[in-house]
Amino acid sequence: MVIPWELLVIQLLNGVIIGMILALVASGLTLIFGIMDVVNFAHGELYMLGAYMGTTVMLTTGNFWLALGGSALTIAALGAVVQVTALRPLLGRDPLTTILATFGISLVLQNYALWQYGPVARKIDEPFTGQFALFHLQFPWYRVVIALLSAAIILALWLFMKYGKYGIWIRATTQDRVMAAAMGIPVPLVYTMVFAIGSAMAAASGVLYAPLVGINHAMGLDVILRAFIVVVVGGMGNLAGSVLAAIFISLLEALASLWVSPAQAVIVSFIVLILTLLIRPTGLFVPTPK
Amino acid sequence: MLTLENVHTFYGKSHILHGVSVEVGPGEVVGLLGRNGVGKSTTLKTIMGLVRPSQGRVVFEGRDIGGWAPHRLAHLGIAYVPEDRRIFRLLTVYENLRTGLDRGGITEQRKTELLEKVYENFPVLRERRNQAGGTLSGGEQQMLAIARAMMLEPKIILLDEPTEGLMPRMVTQIRHIVDVLHREGVAILLVEQNVPMTLEVSRRVYIMEKGQVRHHAPAEALREDQTMIHQYLGV
Ligand SMILES: Nc1ncnc2c1ncn2[C@@H]1O[C@H](COP(=O)(O)OP(=O)(O)O)[C@@H](O)[C@H]1O
Ligand SMILES: [Mg+2]
Repeated sequence: MVIPWELLVIQLLNGVIIGMILALVASGLTLIFGIMDVVNFAHGELYMLGAYMGTTVMLTTGNFWLALGGSALTIAALGAVVQVTALRPLLGRDPLTTILATFGISLVLQNYALWQYGPVARKIDEPFTGQFALFHLQFPWYRVVIALLSAAIILALWLFMKYGKYGIWIRATTQDRVMAAAMGIPVPLVYTMVFAIGSAMAAASGVLYAPLVGINHAMGLDVILRAFIVVVVGGMGNLAGSVLAAIFISLLEALASLWVSPAQAVIVSFIVLILTLLIRPTGLFVPTPK
Repeated sequence: MLTLENVHTFYGKSHILHGVSVEVGPGEVVGLLGRNGVGKSTTLKTIMGLVRPSQGRVVFEGRDIGGWAPHRLAHLGIAYVPEDRRIFRLLTVYENLRTGLDRGGITEQRKTELLEKVYENFPVLRERRNQAGGTLSGGEQQMLAIARAMMLEPKIILLDEPTEGLMPRMVTQIRHIVDVLHREGVAILLVEQNVPMTLEVSRRVYIMEKGQVRHHAPAEALREDQTMIHQYLGV
């Protein structure tokens, strides 16, 4: 079957856009893993709650950008509380205990959302509905904005980690927790901060993506699976690797769905995952260790 | 200023410190000598809150600091330069120094002064300020570890074998910085294997064996009569 090249371009664009959202979710996940060694199974639920929180702010203010910022802040606070109450006491224990803890939290949050918001899916309207002509198609500007905003948030995170006072605290703590403490860095606070930042990023992606997919209490499940694949393919804890992996996998899926149904195209990401684990288990874009 | 009274420390079930008592006065340089494995490093770790004493007291400026978190001790004015240096290998030299500079109650001007001071004392750190800490040589890493501790403007520095494995030229530099710190009134608790240097820079010296302080004397006395040094250190 010959694919018209316009369709190819459109699918590539879609792939990059989905890839950027996925990169945003995965960045938070890989940040938390890289620094705290915590595999956060509740990340998808923070993303889901972020989207719901977006609807709440949207209802009261009617402003999408306030919804985005308000939701990120609220979920950051929620993340901080979760970290202090559920994860801080487990510091230094078997990593399995934190996996169980975050899994438990994810169940609680999912059922909370079901109880609070009910089983009927909700929606956030796009902040603007402008479109531009792309070949025979009308392509929504909002989708482009999603990709750009996701990229901007990831860039901001990177700058914060590279130059910010707290970024240096975080990196020092990652490398040597004990020595960081001896240098006066309040390590427990650093962990809470990292979890809050990761949560805020999950929430922001939830709000940004909600106009395209609709909101329900189980929406975190789908995204978390994909985010985990991205994080593993990108190299656990490797921020740049995650971004590249997210775009790479989304592009592959977008291209695959030219030939097969989108549901079948998902298989591509599993194939990449399995190949990565077989060939380069430390990450697809990480130089092979000597 | 810093007093350890009858401190006992365990690693799991193994009893390492058996009632160590050590004292360091304000601005005083005190040496802590002893063979490998007698508990010198453990003594410093206990002071820094990296291991908890099971018994006994650690008192700093009148406060019992036993069991305090290390970051609070750093804020109190205790700095730690560990035996294995433990610089942040992926952070640049400048970022390593910043870990001690970005704290409450310090002005930008003071930060610049502190940086200038270490860059003057260790010009090589200025040259390499944008290089990852892990790329430095052993001696340079040792300088960085000391410089990093100086960023905290500590009242006392716990120095664990700073000259271990260094070339003579580097040893001279370390020796020089100990003098600089002493002149500035910073107290130092110096753990060393280098006996001649320790006897030169210290005012008093403790000699440890099997987790206990076995001998305590002014450095001058030990310089003149080396019997104790021979007995406990075998040199
Ligand atoms: N983390 C640890 N766990 C168990 N034992 C330790 C640990 N660190 C040191 N030790 C033991 O404690 C004793 C004292 O060690 P240390 O204080 O490092 O001695 P020194 O610095 O005088 O050479 C040694 O017998 C050493 O094997
Ligand atoms: Mg030692």
